[in-house]
Formats: sequence, C-alpha cells, structure tokens
Amino acid sequence: MKEFKPLPDQPAPNDVVGPIHWIKENLFSSPLNTLATLLILAFLGTVIPPLLDWLIFSANWTGTNQSACTNEGACWVFVIAWSKQFFYGSYPAEELWRINACLIALVAIIIASYRLHKDLRNKVAIPLFLLLPFISILILDGSWIGLEYVSTDYWGGFSLNVLLAAASIIVAFPLSFLWALGRRSDMPFIKSVSIILIEFFRGVPVLALFFMGSVMLPLFFPEGTNVDKLLRVWIVLTLFMSGYMAEVFRGGFQAVPNGQYEAADSLGLGFWQKTLLIILPQVIKISMPNILATFVMLFKNTTFLLIIGIFEMLSTTQTALTNSNWLGGHSTEGYLFVAIVFWICCFSMSLISSSIERKLDTSHKN
Amino acid sequence: MKRLTSVIATSLALGLSFGAQAGTLDDVQKRGNVSCGVSTGLAGFSQKDENGTWSGLDVDVCRAVAAAVLGDASKVQYKPLTAKERFTALQSGEIDILSRNTTWTHTRDTSLGLNFAGVNYYDGQGFMVSKDLGVKSALELDGAAVCIQAGTTTELNLADYFRANGITYNAITFDTSDQTRAGFESGRCDVLTSDQSQLYALRIGLQNPSAAMVLPEVISKEPLGPVVRQGDDAWFNVVRWSLMAMVEAEFLGIDSKNADKAKAEGKPAQKRLMGVDSDAGQKMGIPTEWAYNIVTQVGNYGESFERNVGQDSPLKIARGLNAQWNKGGIMYSSPVR
Repeated sequence: MKEFKPLPDQPAPNDVVGPIHWIKENLFSSPLNTLATLLILAFLGTVIPPLLDWLIFSANWTGTNQSACTNEGACWVFVIAWSKQFFYGSYPAEELWRINACLIALVAIIIASYRLHKDLRNKVAIPLFLLLPFISILILDGSWIGLEYVSTDYWGGFSLNVLLAAASIIVAFPLSFLWALGRRSDMPFIKSVSIILIEFFRGVPVLALFFMGSVMLPLFFPEGTNVDKLLRVWIVLTLFMSGYMAEVFRGGFQAVPNGQYEAADSLGLGFWQKTLLIILPQVIKISMPNILATFVMLFKNTTFLLIIGIFEMLSTTQTALTNSNWLGGHSTEGYLFVAIVFWICCFSMSLISSSIERKLDTSHKN
Repeated sequence: MKRLTSVIATSLALGLSFGAQAGTLDDVQKRGNVSCGVSTGLAGFSQKDENGTWSGLDVDVCRAVAAAVLGDASKVQYKPLTAKERFTALQSGEIDILSRNTTWTHTRDTSLGLNFAGVNYYDGQGFMVSKDLGVKSALELDGAAVCIQAGTTTELNLADYFRANGITYNAITFDTSDQTRAGFESGRCDVLTSDQSQLYALRIGLQNPSAAMVLPEVISKEPLGPVVRQGDDAWFNVVRWSLMAMVEAEFLGIDSKNADKAKAEGKPAQKRLMGVDSDAGQKMGIPTEWAYNIVTQVGNYGESFERNVGQDSPLKIARGLNAQWNKGGIMYSSPVR
C-alpha cells in the first residue's frame, strides 16, 4: 500500500492575503469606497502637513520671552516659560518637593492597591487612600507639621487640579456609599435626608454650587470669620461628587440579585456584615465603569474653578494670556496645551479603568 | 449622615481663622500683611508673571498701603477675584482692600456698604480703528461696522453715543475679548470699541499693532479706584492717603531715586511729605515715614503708571486724563499737611 504523503503546505494565494489585498478589500472595494478613500486622503494631505509644520517644524522652542517667537509656527516658548505656573502655580520654588511628594504618594497608593496581595490590599490601601487628602493638606500647608507655611493663595496649576479631584473623589467615595444606603433605607428620616441631599447636589449645576460656595457662604459666617476659599471649594466638589456617585451606587445595589441578600440573611449575617462583605463587593464590581466615568467627569470639572478665581491650570493659562509681556495672541498654544495635558490624563484614566474592569470581571458571560 | 456632619464640622474647624472685628488697621498690623483683592489677570493693572510675582497699577495701590502701614511693600497677600465675587469678598472681610479695576459708581458707593477711597485710573470707553481707514475722529464713523463684546455696559454707551450724534452703525457682537480682536483683525468690522485701557492691550495682540490706532474720543466715564468697607474710617483714611501720597509725591517732584535727597534737603513741602517734622503718619496710626516708604518702595504715581501701563510697559498708554492737574490731566491730590 502506498504510503500517504500530505502535500507540503502552500502559502495562501496572493490575492487573498497581504497588504495589497487588505487595501483592495477595505479601501477600494466599491466605487463609493474608492471615492471616500480618495477624498479622505486628499483631506489629510492638505491638512496634516501645515498642521505639523505649525506644531513642530516651524514652531519656536527656545527662548525666554515673546520676542523669541520669530518663526511662523506655534510659540511654544510661551508654554515653556509658564510651565512652572501651569503645573505648580505660585508655590514657592524651593518647596515644590512637597507637591511632588503628594503626587507621588497618590500614584504609589494607586499602584499599591493593584500590586499588593489581596489580603493586605483592603487593610492597607483603603486606610491610606482615606488618609491621603488630609496628609496632603498637612504637607502642602505645612504650618501644622513644622514646615514653612504656604497659604492656599499660592497653590495652583495642574497639580491643584489633580490633588483637588483626588481629594474630592476619595472623601466622596464613603460619603456617597452612605447616601446610597440611606436612600434605600426603611427609616423615613434617613431616607428623606439622603434623597434631599442627593437630589440637591445632582440637580444644581456645579457652577451654581461653586458660586454658592464662594459668594454666598461667606455671608453667612460671622464677620471676621474666614473659611479658606479652597476648602469651601473642596467641600462643594466633594458633595457634588457624592450626589452623583450615590446614584451610581444605588444602581449597583439594585443590580445585585435579591438572592444574594437572602443568602446573606440566611447565613445569619447582621446588616453591616451583609452590606460590607456580600453586597458592597458586588456593587463595586457592577458599578465600576460608571464610577470611573464619574471620576473623569469630576477631574475635568475642576477646571470650572476658573470662574471663582482659583488658579487651576485653565485659569493660570488665562492669566498668562493677559500678562502685558505675553499679549501676542498665544491663546491657541495655551489652550491646546491644556487640552493635550487633560486628554493624556483622562485617556490614561480610561485605560486604567478598562484594566480594572477586566480584573474584576468574574461574570458568567462567555 | 453622622459622617457627613463630622466631615463638615472638622473641615470648618480646620479652616476657620478668626480676625478681630474692631478695625482693619489693627488687624493688618497684627497680621503683618495686607490682604488685597485683585483681578485674576488684566494686562498692566493686575497681572502675574511666570514667577508668580504680581505687578500692575492696581497691585501698586496695595503695595503702597503695605509700605505705609507695615513699612514693607512686599507684605501683601493677593486674593485673585472674579468680577462676580469681588464685593462679597470685601463685605465678608476676606480682603482688606479691593483694588481690581472697579468703576466708582453711585450705586456701588451707596448701596453695597462700601466706600471708594479714590481714583487711581480714569478710564473711559474709546475706539480703535485701522490706520488705513483714515479716520481722525469717532464722528466720522457713519455707517461703520463696530466690533463689541456682548453683555457689557460698553454696548449701552455705544448706542447712546451714536444716537446722540445721529450716526448710524452696525454692531457685531462677540463673546470674549479674544474673539472681538480676531473679528477686528479679520476685517469684519472697521472699529473696535472697549474701555481705553483694554484697547491698548487688545492692540498689542494684533499681528501688526502699529497699523491700528486709538481715537481720541472717550465716550464714557469709568473712574477706577480701590474700595474698602464702609464704617471703618481709620482704614479708609490710610488707603485714601496712601493713594494721595503717590500722586502728591509726583506733583512735588519726588520719585524713588531722589526721595532720600528730598527728605534731607528738599523744599519744606517735600520734607513734610517725607515725614520730617510731620505728624501726618501718627494721625493715621501708622509710621511717620509712611509716604517715604511708599515712594522708595513703590514709586510715585507717575513712576507706577509708566512702569505698568505707560511708556516703559508694552501697553504704552498715554497719560491723558491721568496726568497731573497742572500737566493737562485731572490727577489731583489734596495737600499733605
């Protein structure tokens, strides 16, 4: 019997693989597609070269003042000269390590909550997270821990956006959880108070809340009593965030099947045990995409602070644009830079968020 | 809920700072700095530079007060404020002086519980045209397209002025001053109208500033000055006379360079202002050398003007109304004696 010999493997025919085929299949498969491809190519061809030219090739990179901007392109000298203000505000130069320390601590805790063993994670990362805003305030202010006192008037720039958003989110997290629980509670007083709080802070525009915090609130204090403006804003942001997150959590609570509550009850767990050990982990898993979307929203909302004269990044940019030595119309460069910085941050947040979602994904879906 | 209350309570406790209610002057001396409400950014008037240092004509008022009261012009705590929150910040005691290009009007002076301590810049609405237009006066602007920022009193003044003179115009409104400038630059309108101090700032932002000119007409009165709380006369006096001292020093020919000479061997009026044999300072409860400190550390009004908005600055605003009364302006100080 003749031994069976399979034919040697053949490469795929040239007309179904390879880049040329891909182009044919995807870009020129029909007259309409061909037309669209050509139009888009023509559009990109006319737009991209001048854009790159303006952004990079004929842009001005070196110098310390406006007169260095002699080329046709973007005046990045403006952004470079103001970079310290953009990132750190007017914080004293020799004390910048304090801001850096707070930012590093924030990043370190985020990484720790990823990397730590899961037994340690809750015991270490959660208390650290909750302490972080207060430790940061102590470090940045300095007067309580023997460092040089730096008034909040000097805080500013992008680091303020980041730290303020982080501090609001961290405090809002437990607060909103309590509000959401309160809203589901059977006790009429707690329930009605929670509903009022949630609906108020969700229903009022954040700009109106900022104005209330900065303009209205001081009038209610006795004369001569000043609550720091930044502190007022922090409280406003926290409450605003809590209102939104409470509703996100409520959605999560409702999505947990009733059987889970009943199972916990039948095991004889008390209310807090049931909530913290059985329900909350599932709620967080379900609501994670929404929670992170709310984070991104809040982070971007911190730029609204410009309307009440706090020098976060966007309002620093506006201030820089009105300096009489920089009146040459650099608004495009300035706002573009702010947009890029925020986009990078928000995009990394969504990358982190999708990786968290994958990590938490224990669903029964295929 | 318990958590919420405790969070708010602790935060309030952390941030509270009690100031004595008695007098702002006492507070300032005790605290060792002047808390000054400024604009978040207005070229030449209150502006921050790359290093975070504040400068400007409005800022100099606060520096002068700090020099007069504390002997050190750098002891100012700047509180950047937007237009909407400026009066509340003063009323609630968050700031001691509001020096933020605020127009002195009857309503503000009488109904807000505030007092204007003087005028540090006489502004008014003006027009900027392209030089190619060949126009020498606003009265020749019949039928012109006018670029204007929406929702400001500028719009009202413009309508009044053109109607009173029987001139027709076509208003093109923009939301921000940047857009207004872009509109002017792209030729959508022949004229741009705004407050004069703004016009000069807008002009620098043009591609070719020298192709545009500001017309001589000023069609509204906008006296800008520092504001303090009503009912605190000691502090009101200090602020008013700090400003006056700057104007008076220029009138008497004392500037930051010759102040020492004027103090030692100047004319009697010069010596008196510099605190020699004068109890002007004691009467206000501040050091004898108050005016000397102002002039040496901040400069006289003319120096401050030229440095921040005048010929030594990029803005190059002419003195105009803000010149001394004997030089064609209306800057006039009561005598210090």
